[in-house]
Parts: sequence; structure tokens; C-alpha cells
Amino acid sequence: MSRVRAFATHPGTGAFCRLLIGAIFIYTATPKLLRPDEFARLVAGYRLLHPDLVNLVGITLPWIELVAGAFLVLGILPRSSVLVLAGLLAVFIIAGFFALVRGLDISCGCFFPFMADHKLGWDLLVRDAILLLISLQPIAWPSTFLLRKRL
Amino acid sequence: MKSNHFSQSDAAAELARVLLGALALLIGSAAIGIAVNHFSPRGIPVFPVGQELAAVQASTVSIPLPPGLKPVELADAKKAFDDAAALFLDARPSDEYAEAHVPGAVNLPPSRFEERFPDLADRVEKAPVIIVYCSGAECSDSIEVAERLEETGNYTIQVLEAGWRAWAEAGYPTTTGAEP
Repeated sequence: MSRVRAFATHPGTGAFCRLLIGAIFIYTATPKLLRPDEFARLVAGYRLLHPDLVNLVGITLPWIELVAGAFLVLGILPRSSVLVLAGLLAVFIIAGFFALVRGLDISCGCFFPFMADHKLGWDLLVRDAILLLISLQPIAWPSTFLLRKRL
Repeated sequence: MKSNHFSQSDAAAELARVLLGALALLIGSAAIGIAVNHFSPRGIPVFPVGQELAAVQASTVSIPLPPGLKPVELADAKKAFDDAAALFLDARPSDEYAEAHVPGAVNLPPSRFEERFPDLADRVEKAPVIIVYCSGAECSDSIEVAERLEETGNYTIQVLEAGWRAWAEAGYPTTTGAEP
């Protein structure tokens, strides 16, 4: 157990988790930024939001992902950034769960691991849950590894 | 005791700092997004009104058929089924197909198109009309399969936009079981 803990709290593990989560969000935010109309349509597909709010989310969400991802990689407000991204992952899991439970046959709008879009499925929720777990590491044990200033 | 007290208030201050940072980050990036969207040629209305809103609402219930693909009404699809005048392709995932499908329909999810199409080419070739369906108007698998078919050959393809759900709800014949 102590070895598990030693691994989980190791500064290298922290840096890895931080860079991984940040890089994934920078990568997946890009196609959404470039086509806000298409992304808004994917958001609408979840049928969770009132139509009035769909475009607002379609416009702002990719920027939140990009800025928080970039901040996380650069080490600017890393705990706040990773908290935002962990929150987004939690939202994605909840939204995906409700969409699947209601039997929606939709695209996930996640653009990961490839730029092509995938169908929303339970496997994607498991993947998001794993990413959420990884994103909790830098919140729990902030590391200064590969960063100049204290977190 | 005193040091413990201090470390607790330190932790509270740190937590407040992290939460405040997160809030600032959310508001700041949302503002950047709205500003960029405003000046971008690809920008979309933040709060759609009138026709724009209607378009968003429509997109929440159905995926528009790309130009070039022909839709087929449920009643016409049923007629083609009764007359055995069409080959039905079920574009849903195989497990949903196994649960229930249009009798005689062939399961062809887009993800397995390459693998399955060679075996079906003969039947597709001979069919006077091909009717593709997925769950309903909100799914895109039928469109995807129809587009792949159009790339493959010169077939008469129709997309049953109302999909499987409408077929089942209409009480039309269904059958169960996986593809042999």
C-alpha cells in the first residue's frame, strides 16, 4: 500500500498527470473552436440544455478547455485549471450517462483520441472516468516537478 | 495546537484561492470565447432568435439529411416492405439489431461497413431500392451508411429518417435475432 501511495504521490506522477490532462484538452478543444456551429449541434444532440443555451455552451466550452488546458501545461494556476477540467469531465460523464440511459444514438462530440467524431457509448464514459481520476491527482498532491514556481 | 490552527486556516485560504482561480478562469475564457466568436467569420449567434432558434431546436430532434440523399416516409417504406420491393439495411449496432429489427433487414453498422459489405454486395446490387434506417431522426448512422453506399456504387438509396423507433411504434412487423 505504501508503494502505491509512493507512486501516486510521486512528483513525476504528478507532472505526468498534469501534462496529460492539459494536452488532451488543448488537443480536443481545437476542432471545437474552429467549428462552433458544428460543435453547438453536437451539444444540442445531448438534448439536456434548453435550445437558448446551446450556442452559448458551444461558443464558450472549447475556450474554457483550451485556456485551462494551456494553463495546466504551463503551470499557471495549475490547481484551479485542473479543477475546472476535472469538473468538465464530471459534467461530460453525467451528460453522457443521461444521454445513454435515454437511448440517444448520438455523436459524443469529444474528438478524442482522433479528430473524427465517435458515437457516444459506455466505453467513452469509462474513459472519461479514468481521465477524471487522473485529473484528481494534481489536485490532491500538487507537485512542483517541471515547474519553476510553487503551485 | 497553535500551529495546527494556522495550517488549517492556511488550507482554507489555499482552497479559497484555488476556487477563486477556477471561477476567474471560467469567466475569463468564456469572455474570450464570446469575443472571438463575435469577430470570427464562423461565429454563431450567442443567443439565437427567431429562425436561428428554430434551426437549433430542429437540430436537437433530428439530423438534417445531406443534400443528394433521398428520404422515405414511413408509410412508403412499409409499402415497399409489403411488396418486397426494397432491401432494408439496419445501420444500428449489432446488439440493437439482434434485439429487434425489420424482418429481412440486413445489419450494416457504419463501423463494420468495410468488413460486411463484400458479403452483401450481391444483394445490394440486385435490390431495386435500398432503404437504410437507424434508431430515429437523431441518429446519423443511416446517413453514414447511405453515403458510403453512394460512394461504392450507383444504387437507389432512401433513408428512413423516422427510423426504427417509428417503425416499431407503428406496430409494423418486427423480428428478433442476430444475423445468421
